[in-house]
Amino acid sequence: MNSFDDEQLPLTQGFGDLSLGNDYYSPKPGLAFEEPPSPMISSEGIIAQEITDKFLSAAAKLEPGELVKDGFFTLFESVGALEVMDPKMDSGCLAPGESLDDDYDVSRLLSPSEVIGIIDQLFSLEMAWHLGYPLSQTLFTSVYVEKLQHPNPTTIHDADFIRGHAADSPRDPMHTVLRAYCLGLLKACYFVNERIKSEHIYEEEDFVTNTYNRSLLESLNRSDIYDEIVTARQVLRDTHHTETNELAQALDFRLQFRLAFLRAIELSELRTDPASLTPPWAEMQAVWSKISKTRDLGSAVPGAFSTKIQRRLASTMPPRPIVQPSAQETQRHFEKLIEDGMSVLNVLNYTDSQSLLKFVLTFQAQKPQPMVYVRALLQNFLFHDMIILGQLSIRRVMDDDLSIVVLPDSILLDPINDTIEAPHQPRFIIASHMEIFRQRAAQSYLDIFRAFCQNRCRVRRTLFHSLQDWEMLQAEAEEIDELLQPHADEKLLVYPPRTGGIPTGSMPLSSWAYHYKLQLMQWTVQLGFELEIYQPNELASMYWYLAYLAQTHIYHIDRIKFFTTHRLETTHPTSPQYPRSQAFLEHTHALTRATFSLALALSTLYTALARLGLLPSLTTSSSPLAPPASSSSRPYSTDALRHEIRMKPFASVSLPDLPSHEMMVQATTRGGMSSTAGLLEEVKGSVANVRRQLGVLAALAGDDGEEGTKRRDDNGVAGEWSTANGNKVFAVGCLDRWKGQVVEGWMKAVVEIEEVVERVSKAENETKGGGVKGEGVVTRLKLKVPRPSEAGHEWWIVPRIVKE
Amino acid sequence: MTSPFQDKQEAVSYLESLLNKNLRVTTTDSRIFVGAFKCTDAESNIVLQYTYEYRHPTPQQAQQQNTTQGDPTNSNPTNPTTTETTTTTTTTETTTSKIKLDLTSRYLGLVVVPGQYIVKIEVEEFASQLRGRGLL
Repeated sequence: MNSFDDEQLPLTQGFGDLSLGNDYYSPKPGLAFEEPPSPMISSEGIIAQEITDKFLSAAAKLEPGELVKDGFFTLFESVGALEVMDPKMDSGCLAPGESLDDDYDVSRLLSPSEVIGIIDQLFSLEMAWHLGYPLSQTLFTSVYVEKLQHPNPTTIHDADFIRGHAADSPRDPMHTVLRAYCLGLLKACYFVNERIKSEHIYEEEDFVTNTYNRSLLESLNRSDIYDEIVTARQVLRDTHHTETNELAQALDFRLQFRLAFLRAIELSELRTDPASLTPPWAEMQAVWSKISKTRDLGSAVPGAFSTKIQRRLASTMPPRPIVQPSAQETQRHFEKLIEDGMSVLNVLNYTDSQSLLKFVLTFQAQKPQPMVYVRALLQNFLFHDMIILGQLSIRRVMDDDLSIVVLPDSILLDPINDTIEAPHQPRFIIASHMEIFRQRAAQSYLDIFRAFCQNRCRVRRTLFHSLQDWEMLQAEAEEIDELLQPHADEKLLVYPPRTGGIPTGSMPLSSWAYHYKLQLMQWTVQLGFELEIYQPNELASMYWYLAYLAQTHIYHIDRIKFFTTHRLETTHPTSPQYPRSQAFLEHTHALTRATFSLALALSTLYTALARLGLLPSLTTSSSPLAPPASSSSRPYSTDALRHEIRMKPFASVSLPDLPSHEMMVQATTRGGMSSTAGLLEEVKGSVANVRRQLGVLAALAGDDGEEGTKRRDDNGVAGEWSTANGNKVFAVGCLDRWKGQVVEGWMKAVVEIEEVVERVSKAENETKGGGVKGEGVVTRLKLKVPRPSEAGHEWWIVPRIVKE
Repeated sequence: MTSPFQDKQEAVSYLESLLNKNLRVTTTDSRIFVGAFKCTDAESNIVLQYTYEYRHPTPQQAQQQNTTQGDPTNSNPTNPTTTETTTTTTTTETTTSKIKLDLTSRYLGLVVVPGQYIVKIEVEEFASQLRGRGLL
């Protein structure tokens, strides 16, 4: 069990308790089919006696407010009762003259263009479901879909919207096509829903898995549905000449898409070589472009969709409107779904643990984030059956990671240790200690991957939880390090060198844990910017804190580097693990330095802008009624208290120390120590550093992204390490995406900062001679803090000059 | 309306005798709610637990069923509803037209039926108990 389970269970239960009569019928999707059959309204043994008048006159005797009630029934329970005839609650309540029936006749003959119209509307509704709307408001508003799956068909022959169809009489060709399409659609939805249900996804936040007591054709065979679609395509070919009739062709594309989607789903269960899983996705992509080109051939059939169907679904909700994205949105989202579905397969190409992590990080950092189904696929690829990517043990990935970060070619990770049986042998002792460590650390390590598979808000929240875990893990790892050290034959060294301190060991395991802890803390702060957690007046201090964390991280990497280099120099090993580890340290060093300088630049910039009075107040974006933003106007809190709340998640971390409020105030006001012009000069200096580090990273990544991609294919074999381009930045399989997000994305922020500094300096210089200091700039310039989505990169919120 | 109850005590004990029995409450839109009686007040608002909603078939459904089922054979005038046990729908037989119709049903759980919408209240009794009390 991991922290997700702990969190999610009570929540689901909580919702369950809210719904009506949960002790009788559970609305949980998995149990949806266990609804008891409704009791017979009469039977031989039971007689209904009319008591209307007697009851009403008895009730009339009660005082207003007096109740007659069962002793075990509490009024608290009655709060959850559904009020009959209330149109907001009672889904069975009909407006006067309204009929429960849809007057749409599913057996009526359809023209080919009408079928295209219906199918294209189904595409839009399917996408709305993928985007998080419930089936009741999307696909289940289709009369055809409803008739097809209710009553629940048990055989493929039953599955038709015209029931009781004689087996030998031929169906109308258009009905055959629409039926085959719907079969393929519902079956695909079934698999998508099952996949999502089996992974960690937040109901109500991401996706609604409720199927409202409809089966989504659960009991039908996948192969039968394939057959039906193939047959329908054959019928199309027989009745129309597909090559010449563009309507028939358009229909054929749509059926082909369904077939390809089902195949893509089926293959993804295999978790094998991505090259063999890609073809159906590629087919979908090709067919989709043809589908979008033939959209204008369809004519809509609005009558085939109705919100009334919701009244018959197992839901206590009154009907809500149909959610239907426009044709353009549908097209855009499908293209994104297919593209992500295809690129997520690349995760199965394992080269090293750090590339895997980077794949997950960059894949999830995409804007917009990949859809829930693709994220569920990613989780499935990563964790299903505790076999990473369908081929690796958790130990394998962890050992790989340890060897990259801290322990290249180390005796601690030597698999031979496990074969030693003599208990006094150092290797035996190492093996047993390492096993304890692995068991302790595996969950925490995997949780990082899992956390990043969630939606962005959840990522941040989950990382906060993980932080406590890594804090403890680091302490425990330190103990294991001390136990291991006498057996690992390691020379103690003074670090930092030439300081005359006590010699220490490299403490590899706790170093590894500390590395991740620092990484988690930086991610958390950065996600705070991305998710608009911080107010404009907090930006200076939060960027300063990020710089502080990054600096600590740099020192830590230096320490790891020192010990690794020393070991390399004294033993002269030939293992390729050494260059790999060194490349990793070099890359992480450059990246963290870039983070440090960029964060420092922004912190200093915000400090300077605050001094000039250019920072927008809190009220700019919110309602005009809110009080003005100066500290004195927030009478119920103080800066110190706000600092305490903001830093609370980090307060339990012992190393690095939490900076005190005074320290942060000092860092972000600079106590008037340097002039504003001096601050702006500092920003320029920091930005120049960022440029340098990004240059280093770009050089490591190789300038030609294409080349990197090509070489990646050659290096598909796990475990080998060459100096091919993607390898040096540990972004094999996601090199272009990583370069786009980090090297190019951060560079955008750099350019933005440079521009702001330039214009502010200029304005300040010009006004200095003429008027009162500061005031002149305020009147000349107006700044706006952009939303993360408008910024060059979501993590680096650079203010914009909106008026000069 | 002359009240059959002399005093309030009598009325309350009558209502209490109904608690936890299954009531069938028909509303103004001719739906029937069948559930365990839990609570009522002066306005005859009724709280039912484990409630199923039954709805008379719409004319369209009625027509379909009529054509597929044909005429019923065994009609029992004292008991206007008969049952069909194989499906989740329950069959009723309307005394006026003498055909079998499926009542569509839905599980709702805990409901409040406001007194103003109630047109009919029935209590379900075991025939055996009624016989025992000499009422049948």
